[in-house]
Amino acid sequence: MRGPVREVRLWDPLLRAFHWLLAFFVIAAWGLGQFGPAKMTLHFWCGYVVAGLLGFRLVWGFFGPAPARFSHFIRGPGAIAGYMRGMFLREPSYWPGHNPMGALSVIAMLAVLAAQVTTGLISDPDDYINVGPLASYVSGATRSKAVGWHNLGATLILILVLLHVAVILFYRFWKREDLVRPMITGRKQVREE
Amino acid sequence: MRLIFTAAALAAVPLASLAQDNDPVAQAIEARHGFYQMLAINMGTLSGMAKGDVAYDEATASRAAANIEALTRYDLPSLFIEGSSSADAQDSAARPAIWSDPDDFAAKFDGLRQAAADAPDAVKGGAENVGPAVQKLGGACKACHDDYREKS
Repeated sequence: MRGPVREVRLWDPLLRAFHWLLAFFVIAAWGLGQFGPAKMTLHFWCGYVVAGLLGFRLVWGFFGPAPARFSHFIRGPGAIAGYMRGMFLREPSYWPGHNPMGALSVIAMLAVLAAQVTTGLISDPDDYINVGPLASYVSGATRSKAVGWHNLGATLILILVLLHVAVILFYRFWKREDLVRPMITGRKQVREE
Repeated sequence: MRLIFTAAALAAVPLASLAQDNDPVAQAIEARHGFYQMLAINMGTLSGMAKGDVAYDEATASRAAANIEALTRYDLPSLFIEGSSSADAQDSAARPAIWSDPDDFAAKFDGLRQAAADAPDAVKGGAENVGPAVQKLGGACKACHDDYREKS
């Protein structure tokens, strides 16, 4: 038996602020990295903000409200397969939080961004103007390789963000469920167990 | 017997390095690395002063900038000969893209030449003048590294 659907307060204000700030600063950092001025001071600052935001999300994942906690939304292969079976049904999921598949996306996004911050901090592109602040703590070979990893990371982030937006659109137009509004207002239609 | 092997191995060492010396690709790559090393030494002097790690000295700054300017008058792209890309040679960091768009690669090097042209004078007159010159030079480094330098 499926329970009734009702609107609940799902995403807390700090989590919503985190989401939109992260979106803004990741896009800004990405754009500045690709098209910005040769002296990448602003890109660096965007990176530091992203690092701070990731730190907040890590803490929130353990001590925040239930929907924000990793233990609440990270599920095993069984739950993921179960969710996937209903994924293409033309009806809203009414899921109370990150669904088991979305959880994978959350983890991938956080992991890639953490790696991106790390490789950025230790990068030295040998141009004497954009040296990562921690580059002097690693070997010369690592400093140089980090630039390559950082470029690869930028591609991975682009793919993850495009996938994220594509899935949001899929929910909006195929499953007829708006996932953007809950991330703005905090309120979402969910089905009770 | 062992002595003979040792002697033969030792005798082969100069032969091996001789073969290296005569290989135009190996020579070109070594020359390129030497060129960048000279650039790096002088850029290091300037960026050290720009960051305040090294005390500003007008003569030293201007000499470093003049060295860079002199280096940019060498025809560096002529050292990027066939067979010396990262796809062909192990110790090369030169992306094959250099050979698919040699004009753009030459334009990037010209960018460094232009950035270096007034550097010897620009860095005179105080530590605060070094930073902008380093930014100009570094921007030219970056423009080329972004597209044409292997990152590993």
